[in-house]
Amino acid sequence: MNLEQALNRYFQFPSFKPGQKETIQSILAGRHAIAMLPTGTGKSLCYQLPGYMLDGPVLIVSPLLSLMQDQVEQLKGRGEKRVVALNSFLTPIEKRNALSSLQNYKFIFISPEMLGTRLVINKLKSLRISLIAIDEAHCISQWGYDFRPDYLKLGEVRQVLGNPATLALTATATEEVRKDIARLLKLDSWDEHVLSVDRPEISMSVEILGQQEKLQRAFELVSNLQGPGIIYFSSRKMAEHVAAFLRDKGEQAMAYHGGLDQESRILIQQQFLNGQFNVVCATSAFGMGINKGDIRYVIHYHLSLQLESYLQEIGRAGRDGNKSLAVLLYAPGDEQLSYQLAEAELPESAQVGRLFALIREKCFEPDDVEENAEFLSASCGFSETQWRIVANFLKSLRQEPAERLKEQIERFAEKRLLIKKSQIENMVRYILHDGCKREYIHYHFGEKHCFEVTNCCSFCGLDFVNFRKHLASPELPIQYDWKKELASMLLAQAGDFNE
Amino acid sequence: MALSYSEALFLYCFKKIKDERTIYSLFHLFQGKKSSQTIQDAHLYNLTPFFQAFPFLTRQELESKVISLQNKGLLIQKAPEHFILSDKGERELSLFVTRRPMPPRYLDGWKYHHLTSLFWQRLSLLVQVASNLVHQKRQFIPVQNKQETLDWVKDYIRRQNLSREELGHGIFKELSHCLIQCEGEPAVLVRRLTGHDRIGLTSIQAADELEMEHVHYRLEFLNIVHFILHKAVETPGCFPLLDGIIRDIEKPVPFTLSTEKTYQLIKKGYTPGQIAQVRNLKLSTIEDHIVEIALHLKDFDLEAYVPKSKQERILQAAQNTSAKKLKQIRDQVADANYFEIRLVMAKNGDKS
Ligand SMILES: [Zn+2]
Repeated sequence: MNLEQALNRYFQFPSFKPGQKETIQSILAGRHAIAMLPTGTGKSLCYQLPGYMLDGPVLIVSPLLSLMQDQVEQLKGRGEKRVVALNSFLTPIEKRNALSSLQNYKFIFISPEMLGTRLVINKLKSLRISLIAIDEAHCISQWGYDFRPDYLKLGEVRQVLGNPATLALTATATEEVRKDIARLLKLDSWDEHVLSVDRPEISMSVEILGQQEKLQRAFELVSNLQGPGIIYFSSRKMAEHVAAFLRDKGEQAMAYHGGLDQESRILIQQQFLNGQFNVVCATSAFGMGINKGDIRYVIHYHLSLQLESYLQEIGRAGRDGNKSLAVLLYAPGDEQLSYQLAEAELPESAQVGRLFALIREKCFEPDDVEENAEFLSASCGFSETQWRIVANFLKSLRQEPAERLKEQIERFAEKRLLIKKSQIENMVRYILHDGCKREYIHYHFGEKHCFEVTNCCSFCGLDFVNFRKHLASPELPIQYDWKKELASMLLAQAGDFNE
Repeated sequence: MALSYSEALFLYCFKKIKDERTIYSLFHLFQGKKSSQTIQDAHLYNLTPFFQAFPFLTRQELESKVISLQNKGLLIQKAPEHFILSDKGERELSLFVTRRPMPPRYLDGWKYHHLTSLFWQRLSLLVQVASNLVHQKRQFIPVQNKQETLDWVKDYIRRQNLSREELGHGIFKELSHCLIQCEGEPAVLVRRLTGHDRIGLTSIQAADELEMEHVHYRLEFLNIVHFILHKAVETPGCFPLLDGIIRDIEKPVPFTLSTEKTYQLIKKGYTPGQIAQVRNLKLSTIEDHIVEIALHLKDFDLEAYVPKSKQERILQAAQNTSAKKLKQIRDQVADANYFEIRLVMAKNGDKS
């Protein structure tokens, strides 16, 4: 059976997307691989198909619970029952049950923190893992966006598990980050399959304007551009504010951010997918795991914290391959907000000081610290992101004196902040770059080839006429008839409800 | 100028509690706090319909509402945190209630608070699934993502033993029957439902669409849900499908579902800290559960949480302070924390 036949048999797809086949071939030949494939190009197939063709289970390391859940559901939805997810959402009983029957599963998803326990490692060791797939592999590098210290132990885990074939997957990683991935995963040799991050169907515009003009310009764009579109913000409040402003002006706009309750988040996301409104004003919480092909524009009201996340976010446009537009609105000084955000993600020295004073004061033993995590985190005012970093250090409280740990956390935060600042500076350099924007991106990701793109970017020349609204949205306000609506939901023939 | 709905609502509640209770007792009532104080107050002042009407209300929101009522000359401060209606407030309120019943007719938070959100989660998912079944659409993203709700719907549909058309038709019939009988505006509920080709609105969107204040919308929504629950509970024979949604939770459970889970874990010997971790909840939430358990279970042993001697000292202190204010007790028993005091008070509420 050749690869195309296998693809057809297990997934009913006629052909591979770019990069998939090469990556799978490396794995089936028993070689390690680093694959950089833009989001939406079917990264998960790269471990799922080999999973069916190799003996033994596949271990998939995934940092985000929501992403993990999406993939588990996707597999189950296709009728695959041998899927399990090991993460911190499991109760002790569920965890015990999952571990004791682990040999029955083909696809074992695991969050990195679960790989820290000997029980789990020993169980995995007994399984003869055929492939380790590491999702969002850039998280291992402090130069990548979204560095997760938890990922650093993966190199060791690989070795303990007997150096099985390893696939590192990422959507965005510079050459430097890819080198870091290989080094930290302790890969001796590997194949690299790198697809360009460049999306020629997306025209890239940067507009520098005054703080006061931004709102008006956003409205102008939304009222003139063909939707649907996304506007990204770094603050929930601004997302709400602009959405309300646009609604006042007669646009169909909704806000989406992490502050909404779960039900509203699902509904708004689904309404957008279903074309029930035209523009979503969102924070970066929006877009993960959503696949909407016809997004025509992405506007950034605030700059992203790195070029990598910027590309991910604009990459949500034009998945259907049709021409789309990315507009970044920049007012000089905007980066101050970014610096504040970057700082807020890291534990502050005062908080860390308070934490260790509290541990001393309460005479907490390492076990107590673990048990009272919630109390400690709340007392010192740590956010979830901050606490994740701190908690990771506290794990070594048994081996290290508290004073040393405190220093380590502070040093870590300082170092991270420098890196984050340099990433923001790089973002600003992109904005101010007096040349082709696409070229800057090629340069940043160490890509050489450069091809002609019409309507390339705001430097090369870009005609907004191409993105003008052409479909008027008629949407006559019709009288809402609840009974008719209910009937059309629940009855096969909506006509027969007046019996 | 006529009162807005939310102004009328708050004035109505202040009129009930007079200056005998603080604004925070209203806060706890709206939150649906399971403390003996809140539950007793709700009954004493005839405010049980509003129990847990606004679980997402914040202190700040309530405080700023009170300030704006004062600024409009509708409310007068008698003592810190204590208010009464001004003459103007009285007049405006009595005018308002001639036009609109307050509380909405079927609102019964105390009776149905433990069923309300679960019923809505299940109903909204059930309608979506049934709609997609009827229209033979296999792929859709569920509007509720809790695994237990998803499992429940699957199981529910299997148990009905109906064809897709029969299921859809049955739900349609029962729901529209209820909605016609209820005096509320049915669109308040129907707008929120998701079908095969249309995603439902969020509560804020629905309120905007119906041009209602959010507070007003929320009460109208609860009014309809409580009416449906009332119908299903009282006449299950007429509404077998709706009754089936809550049949498994209908029996009077002493605890909320979440507290029940905590209770099960306590029985297995877990500590509060472990439970918080296992259930991914805040420690303070688990402590609330334990207080609720102590409030309802006469033979619940506190020894594991508060040593016997400390229990006695807390009780002693409680008897010394007439008002039973936690802070005053705390001042007398320095080594006791609020959780311990609340627990002892909950357990011994009737004795002291
Ligand atoms: Zn260019």
